[in-house]
Amino acid sequence: MKLLEVKNLKVHFPVKHGVFSRVNAWVKAVDDVSLTVAPGETVGLVGESGCGKTTLGRAIIRLLEPTGGSVTFEGEDITTLEGAALRERRRRFQMIFQDPVGSLNPRMTVGQIIGEALDIHKLVADEQAREQRIGKLLRDVGLDPVHAQRYPHEFSGGQRQRIGIARALAVEPKLIVCDEPVSALDVSVQAQIINLLQDLQREHGLAYLFIAHDLAVVEHISHRVVVMYLGKVVESAPSKSIINAPKHPYTQALLSAVPVVDPDSKRQRIVLPGDVPSPINPPGGCPFHPRCPVAEARCKTEVPALREVSAGHFTACHLAK
Amino acid sequence: MPLLDIRNLQLEFGTGRDAVRAVDGVSFTIAEGETLCLVGESGCGKSVSALSIARLVPTPPARYVGGEILLNGCDVLKMDQRELRSIRGGVVSYVFQEPSASLNPVFRVGNQIKESLKLHRPQFATDDEVIRLLKLVGIPAPESRIRDYPHQMSGGMQQRIMIAMALASEPKLLVADEPTTALDVTIQAQILELLRDLKARLRMSILLITHNLGIVGDIADRVAVMYAGQIVELSPARALLQRPLHPYTQALMNSVPQLGHELDRLQAIPGNVPNLGQFPRGCRFHPRCPKAQSDCSQKAPELVEVEPGRWVRCPYWK
Repeated sequence: MKLLEVKNLKVHFPVKHGVFSRVNAWVKAVDDVSLTVAPGETVGLVGESGCGKTTLGRAIIRLLEPTGGSVTFEGEDITTLEGAALRERRRRFQMIFQDPVGSLNPRMTVGQIIGEALDIHKLVADEQAREQRIGKLLRDVGLDPVHAQRYPHEFSGGQRQRIGIARALAVEPKLIVCDEPVSALDVSVQAQIINLLQDLQREHGLAYLFIAHDLAVVEHISHRVVVMYLGKVVESAPSKSIINAPKHPYTQALLSAVPVVDPDSKRQRIVLPGDVPSPINPPGGCPFHPRCPVAEARCKTEVPALREVSAGHFTACHLAK
Repeated sequence: MPLLDIRNLQLEFGTGRDAVRAVDGVSFTIAEGETLCLVGESGCGKSVSALSIARLVPTPPARYVGGEILLNGCDVLKMDQRELRSIRGGVVSYVFQEPSASLNPVFRVGNQIKESLKLHRPQFATDDEVIRLLKLVGIPAPESRIRDYPHQMSGGMQQRIMIAMALASEPKLLVADEPTTALDVTIQAQILELLRDLKARLRMSILLITHNLGIVGDIADRVAVMYAGQIVELSPARALLQRPLHPYTQALMNSVPQLGHELDRLQAIPGNVPNLGQFPRGCRFHPRCPKAQSDCSQKAPELVEVEPGRWVRCPYWK
């Protein structure tokens, strides 16, 4: 059974104007996105800024209200759950944020930050059990139990991200949505956090929805990769197959744009012209056609559907074989 | 004579016993038409070193303790305000990380570029010259774009405006401090392509600051790797990427995942980047170094030329 199943999810934001706040346009931040995550699997979500990857992550755990579509978690539709029922389900899915400074309350000690989750879900019987559990969580993420008494500002960026991870783990979730968890960290610390996430996955059987813009990081950690462009999924495949044989011209350009360390690499760089268009008024037909190096006449009028081009490899391009 | 010759630069923040040495004995040269990449993590002193070339670090709180910065043979550290004004823009121009923070939001971009022209090449302070510069940096329809305000442009376009502004004074050296860090990968590719193209056409020297080793492979002739206020390795780019010699450079390269390389586990560097003023005794990398020997914590190693053109600050590099 799938752990998470997202079907035709839409998140549209109104653009309001004038004194009466008339809605005169919609930003289609996430438009008709479907994806699944199996237990213990890591699905990487990549795309450039403004493609809707963060909005999608937040809508899945219901931090944002979806406009349409459904989110099914462990066989249960959670799209319309409210209040206590939603809070109860939230134990099963948690989030790790990009900015470890902004996502930890500076006035709470680390013990309070992690303990808050335990209290809300009433997971510990007494004060002693609470303390032990917090100590264990801190050890799990590579910190010392004595750190529970300290405040977030006393830690480095990498350590703060570890605290964020411990907080997410406190309620024993099945799925963690990681929104750019390493992009604010120094290069030498990034690897520590990536390794930690992988170790925790093995120990606890966690599934991750790993949102990032760094393709090399996503390839390293993910079993499957989903590429988004202007609110839509353009390609979805096992990570090996997407890196070695990308089918969509956008994915090809994205991969070729990543600078490589090897000075002898013979890669052909595809430099895309222009910028990502505004999601308020996306181009008709295939949203990528104005920047696409191989676009044809029908790409301007027909919206390509996501179709399976080889086993498990889906792409939304008329021309992909 | 190289265009830029920094010798044993030492810079401190604060005074007396609270002084912390952010840059400790940095030396490198940049020849005409050469691109040098300065690589390092946050707080290693790479930005402060680069800002020092035009003495842009405010003093106080900073203090130049020693060293020389020879730009075209003249020591920047001994210049008076009038001379400094003439080299800022005239000889060395800067492009910074966040273009939206560097542009003035209330002036049209054309006027902001023209301001630089008025200062350095007054006879060319015309719309035609601004349009030529915008074309040079690849802005489409420059005739209409010169009347835009910065907020009407995307991040990539804004960075092109910054580069046009830096080029307006026809500098000999362009210092780009993480110019693509705030941009998406496809836009980053466009900007790197532009820098490479400008370098070839204008024979400009470039000092590029980055933490991304991939960018080094793309554009650099030579690389200086900095750690905790010192250069730990200085080498031709190709040789360094193929065979890094310093343990820190090696660890840095191994800790970054690379496309298409299948690894089960990344080799993380243990510990954290040391804070300013709390640098370890002896070799500053020794607490995190996989190859550390017993005397690494005692004796501070020197930067030594171990092969022609390759300098390493580690006695155990073999």
